Amino acid sequence: MKPLELLKHEIDKCVRCGTCRSTCPTTKVLGVETASPRGRVSLVSAFSKGEIGLSETYLKHLRECTLCGACRTNCPNYVDTVSIFAAARAEAVEKQGVPLAASLAFRGLKDSGGIVGIGLKIASRLQGLLFKDASAGPGLVSRFSLPLVGNGRLVPPLAKTFFLDLPEIKSLSGAGEGNRPRVAFYAGCGVNYLMPWVGTKSIELIKRAGAWVEVPGGQACCGMPAYAMGDLASAREMALKNLEALESSGADFIATSCATCGHGLKAIMPELLSDDPALKLRAEKVASRIRDISELLLNELGFRGKGCESGPKTIVTYHDPCHLGRAQGLREEPRELIKMGKGTVLKEMKHPCLCCGLGGGLMYTNY
Amino acid sequence: MLSNLVKNGLCRIVGEANCSFSREELLCYSYDATNTLHQPDAVVFPSGPEEVSLILKMANSEGFPVIPRGAGTGFSGGSLPVEGGVVISFERMRKILEIDTENLVAVVEPGVVTWDLQQKAEKLGLFYPPDPSSLKFSTIGGNIAECAGGPRAVKYGVTRDYVLGLEAVLPTGEIINTGVRTAKGVVGYDLTRLLVCSEGTLGIVTKAVLKLLPLPEATVTMLSLFSDMRDAARATSAIIKSRIIPSTLEIMDSVSIKCVEGFAKTGLPDAGALLLIEVDGHRAAVDAEAEAVRKVCLESGAKEFRRAADKDEVKDLWKARRAVSAALYKARPGKINEDIVVPRSRIPELVEGLRGISERYGVLIASFGHAGDGNIHVNIMHDKETQAEAALSAAEDVFRLALSLGGTISGEHGVGLSKARYLDMELKPEAIAAMRKIKEAFDPRGILNPGKIFPTPPGRKAAGSAVVL
Ligand SMILES: Cc1cc2nc3c(=O)[nH]c(=O)nc-3n(C[C@H](O)[C@H](O)[C@H](O)COP(=O)(O)OP(=O)(O)OC[C@H]3O[C@@H](n4cnc5c(N)ncnc54)[C@H](O)[C@@H]3O)c2cc1C
Ligand code: SF4
Ligand code: SF4
Repeated sequence: MKPLELLKHEIDKCVRCGTCRSTCPTTKVLGVETASPRGRVSLVSAFSKGEIGLSETYLKHLRECTLCGACRTNCPNYVDTVSIFAAARAEAVEKQGVPLAASLAFRGLKDSGGIVGIGLKIASRLQGLLFKDASAGPGLVSRFSLPLVGNGRLVPPLAKTFFLDLPEIKSLSGAGEGNRPRVAFYAGCGVNYLMPWVGTKSIELIKRAGAWVEVPGGQACCGMPAYAMGDLASAREMALKNLEALESSGADFIATSCATCGHGLKAIMPELLSDDPALKLRAEKVASRIRDISELLLNELGFRGKGCESGPKTIVTYHDPCHLGRAQGLREEPRELIKMGKGTVLKEMKHPCLCCGLGGGLMYTNY
Repeated sequence: MLSNLVKNGLCRIVGEANCSFSREELLCYSYDATNTLHQPDAVVFPSGPEEVSLILKMANSEGFPVIPRGAGTGFSGGSLPVEGGVVISFERMRKILEIDTENLVAVVEPGVVTWDLQQKAEKLGLFYPPDPSSLKFSTIGGNIAECAGGPRAVKYGVTRDYVLGLEAVLPTGEIINTGVRTAKGVVGYDLTRLLVCSEGTLGIVTKAVLKLLPLPEATVTMLSLFSDMRDAARATSAIIKSRIIPSTLEIMDSVSIKCVEGFAKTGLPDAGALLLIEVDGHRAAVDAEAEAVRKVCLESGAKEFRRAADKDEVKDLWKARRAVSAALYKARPGKINEDIVVPRSRIPELVEGLRGISERYGVLIASFGHAGDGNIHVNIMHDKETQAEAALSAAEDVFRLALSLGGTISGEHGVGLSKARYLDMELKPEAIAAMRKIKEAFDPRGILNPGKIFPTPPGRKAAGSAVVL
């Protein structure tokens, strides 16, 4: 990770053509220049020249970015916007500290020594982060699709048993007889704490697609929340833990069913470790094995829905998460999977890739 | 600087949530694609013509400049607040109000992004042809104010040809409706045409009635490679002469090709020049025309010719083509971006002339653009520190060349700031005087977008930096 002062050249590369206005999810929703990549680059440029300070307005516009990277992919001048935004956040954290709620949670995620065996104490801190009065904010809904219970509060129902503590996960044996592809499953916080069933179902599908599955120990949070908030030290530590945990697995692929984790492990982990060329190389190797569950099933394992039960006619719609569609370019794969369900009809919603309002640091600051 | 009275007044008119005075917000409204900075004193986001009207009335009584702004992607500095003042951003007026499928008319707010209208029309089997390369991010308001054009202009014309009527607020605050929503209309002076292309200096567009066409049944995209710009230029003239009207006839020279290579997944070939050609219409006719184009290209010295294999390749080619303008900075850090037009038969002479200018001043000239209508984007790439003077002289020679070939100094980017000082190269003093009279009649206090087209002293000063992009 380069600090802001070394990115001056990158900032100056932006010619303010405005092309990125068309790719940014936050510009689409909010419409205004301050919520556009070009606006953000201009703000960081002014900050780095000392023309503006660490004001609330500056931080707000910076944190509204989901770090999905769509602006970087589509910039005619290859401006490395994501590094600019991440470095600017990091500098803000260095000078000002991470917003309290968020920093508590990150500390927890990091100090736990990985997400395996994380105690209730830390889980409750995480809960503290997720608990927030919905009526006070702009009415955003949690990224973990939680039910609304009383007083406008969103209550994240922490899983009774976390995914990584489930007996059937602990007893997963990994490779067995026969020459099948080997897949390591990476859980991530959402699956582990809140939606273990997503993990178990994912594993079931991978098996059905004909692969061996294992769940490597020592996994940590993917680091994206910390990265998004500019807490680079925590994010880097998590990246290192994940590198070690995932590297030692000799699996052909590493699968995740979380869009953000996928983006974090594919693109951000190597970036976080780029200060050390040897680590970066190792991280890139691991990153090249990361697959979103949908691309794994479809493109790698050739899953064609064999064995899908037929059910009553169900209409399903699909929302493209920024970190899957924009960041990883995976738009068709999830849809193909949905269409495989017998009796399932995919009906597109009006704006399937509109920003959900909670990516990057949006949740922590706006919510 | 605005007085507190004015600031409070603005808040009352548009609501506090729709006006900004903070340094950070103002900063984001101080530039456009010319990459020059002029900070406004306030930015407001109105939601309708009445609010715009009240702001303009206050501007007249209190005497502050008002600058309309779409997406800020202009190439001539039209939306820059060179004298400070209040930027009126149309980013929150972005509704497509109506698509009338019986009469083929769309009614939109000015902040609608051109692409969004096109997508919506296409779903209904309709077609809004104007397609500036910025179509995915520039707005209808900005397109109207600059009379934006694009590759399709060769067959379908420019924004002007699709504006049937407008709702606009005059600089003195009156809300007027111009034009019609019918196919014809001759009642009174054609104020619609006057407002189109007036670069936000005669009125502020708050609603536009646009003409739609039926969506062509089929389109064929072709790529023709040449070892030299001269051959490509000759092929262009030959295609037009052969009485085929392609829906796109775009040219790119080798510098342009190199700068956007990475944008087409299929890769752009290493060529001295290329033509990107499309024909559209009925399926049967399109194939015959494509074949005719192929013949002409090969006869004119094309070393390779092919049809795009599939939709993805077409998308890729367009992505690369649309990225050229912004991507040229990879060649040299300094860029003077001109969009001259010459009669199509004279493109080969233009290409020759540009070669001479490039040699004379030691600058790199990258050309690409809408060859089909003779509108070539000439980019004088140079080193900002050592070659600024030479580049400016080269630009003037380019204008002279275009005019001597019977052309014009700007086909679509407008005069704004960057070309204000060259106005008299093309227009007679009498014509400029007539235009000034129109401006004075519409805007007696000179509050609407001052410093543009007719340079005021601050405008002239600003132009010095805006011309060297
Ligand atoms: C990469 C790139 C490619 C481009 N390609 C082309 C091209 O192929 N063809 C082409 O013609 N142009 C092109 N342009 C230039 C530019 O995109 C167009 O001029 C476009 O029409 C500007 O639209 P905008 O919404 O950004 O307007 P702005 O830049 O915000 O404003 C442009 C002018 O319009 C005025 N204006 C804006 N809204 C209103 C309104 N509601 N009422 C009155 N006046 C208003 C402003 O005051 C200003 O004078 C390109 C620009 C870029 C960056
Ligand atoms: S697309 Fe790239 S160069 Fe253009 S404004 Fe955005 S970041 Fe800057
Ligand atoms: S990274 Fe994504 S959200 Fe952030 S500015 Fe770029 S496009 Fe917008």
